[in-house]
Amino acid sequence: MTETESSRQDARDAGDRLLAEHVSEDPFAAAFKATRMPMIITDPHQPDNPIIFSNRAFSELTGYSQEELVGRNCRLLQGPGSEPQVIQRIRQAIQNEESIACDVLNYRKDGSPFWNALFISPVRDSGGTVRYFFASQLDFTDVKDKQMELAKARSSAEDEVARRTRDLSEALEARTLLVHEVDHRVKNNLLTIASILKLQARITGDPTVRRTLMTVLERVEALSIVQRKLFTTDDVTRFDIADFATELVTDMVGALGREDIHLTFDVSPVLVPAIKASPFALIINELVGDAVRRGLKDGGGTIRIEVKRLNGHFLLCVADSMEPMPVNQEEQEFSRLILDACARQVKATIERSQEGSDTVVRVTAPVEVYDEGEHH
Amino acid sequence: MNILIVEDEALLALELESELETAGHTIVGQAMSSAQAKKLADQSRPEFAFVDIHLLDGPSGIDVGRHLAGLGIPYVFVTGNLKRIPEDFAGALGAIEKPYTMNGLQHALGFIERFVSGAKSDPIPPSLVPAPRIKNETRVSCAG
Repeated sequence: MTETESSRQDARDAGDRLLAEHVSEDPFAAAFKATRMPMIITDPHQPDNPIIFSNRAFSELTGYSQEELVGRNCRLLQGPGSEPQVIQRIRQAIQNEESIACDVLNYRKDGSPFWNALFISPVRDSGGTVRYFFASQLDFTDVKDKQMELAKARSSAEDEVARRTRDLSEALEARTLLVHEVDHRVKNNLLTIASILKLQARITGDPTVRRTLMTVLERVEALSIVQRKLFTTDDVTRFDIADFATELVTDMVGALGREDIHLTFDVSPVLVPAIKASPFALIINELVGDAVRRGLKDGGGTIRIEVKRLNGHFLLCVADSMEPMPVNQEEQEFSRLILDACARQVKATIERSQEGSDTVVRVTAPVEVYDEGEHH
Repeated sequence: MNILIVEDEALLALELESELETAGHTIVGQAMSSAQAKKLADQSRPEFAFVDIHLLDGPSGIDVGRHLAGLGIPYVFVTGNLKRIPEDFAGALGAIEKPYTMNGLQHALGFIERFVSGAKSDPIPPSLVPAPRIKNETRVSCAG
């Protein structure tokens, strides 16, 4: 008899003694044997704490017969995938005579792995001495697989989200750069166009050419203000007509340095979609420019600007006290042409009237309702 | 006033020069890069300067501005991108935003002339975005 054989015989004897302590019809032993829960009992008083008893469910789970199991330490279930830290914890618990519950990857006789929810508990006699260790096993491979699948799926979903977020922020950054670049070029081009007109107007000796260039310049500059104001606000899709009119008129009259032309304002913010900004800007430019030009010749007067929202409509009113003057027929016709075209585009109606000594022009147009309270 | 123009777009610089000369000023120099601008400022000691932020060597106009402020030369930025200007305006009186209009420029120029010569009670024209300290100065003198 070899040493191994003899120690396995000892283990079998210990198992037999354990059974002998119970009568054959002992319901506890019967339950232990018959339960579907895989269970083993080990004897720490023998060298290497061998299995002295295992039930049928344990053999079904592991593929080892009871014969093969008795006398062996249960590390025979370990394999390459068993985590050393978990094994160390189990070893420590047995040494400290404590119970332990842990999840460990074990291997069947045929080498196939299974996830084992292991529970080990010391069994003490009435004196408190540990006589046996009891261990139950539960194969939760299905659950573990699902958990791992879920974790994998979640991790790959997280990776995908991170990737998409990175792509989006890169795209947004590129777009912002592009918008700024285009804005910069548009602004520079508008100012270059204006500079060319001004330079030529300065150089020409012909007053008619100069005058024509200046009227073209005024219109180009009205569009320049639109471009500037659109990109000054955070919301580039909205344009404040009141803000535009105030700046245009203040600078137009301010640049003249004529103290005899007075400005009065009655304006509140009216936001229009960016697409309507240019036609509205040109309309205001034509009306105000006309009043200012007449004021220049006439020796001053008062210009009143009114911009407000009125029952879902927008009202622009330019009133001036300049005396009506003979005008350049061609210029006036061209100005009307621009006015009418722009008015048609934004469905605006233009009414002119003479109220006492004042010339009054009222422009009404339907505009979308925006919350203008937040704008200022 | 003797004025320095710092602008890398030749046509814009040319037209600004004409405009300023028409208003009775003298242009002491035109610079297209920050190095050139600093050199001209040191040599010609202008009384005022117009400074574009984006120059041939990049967005170096702020740097030029700080140099001018160090020399005690008042100036304004002329730029299409106000967001580039630091909170303290690098010592500038303010900024004229591109694309400015002829009227806007003349209106701002009139204010600058009076401000530099000591008249601080004028209302700030809409075409000039004032530096915080200018806003305060004019407000104080308005109230007084």
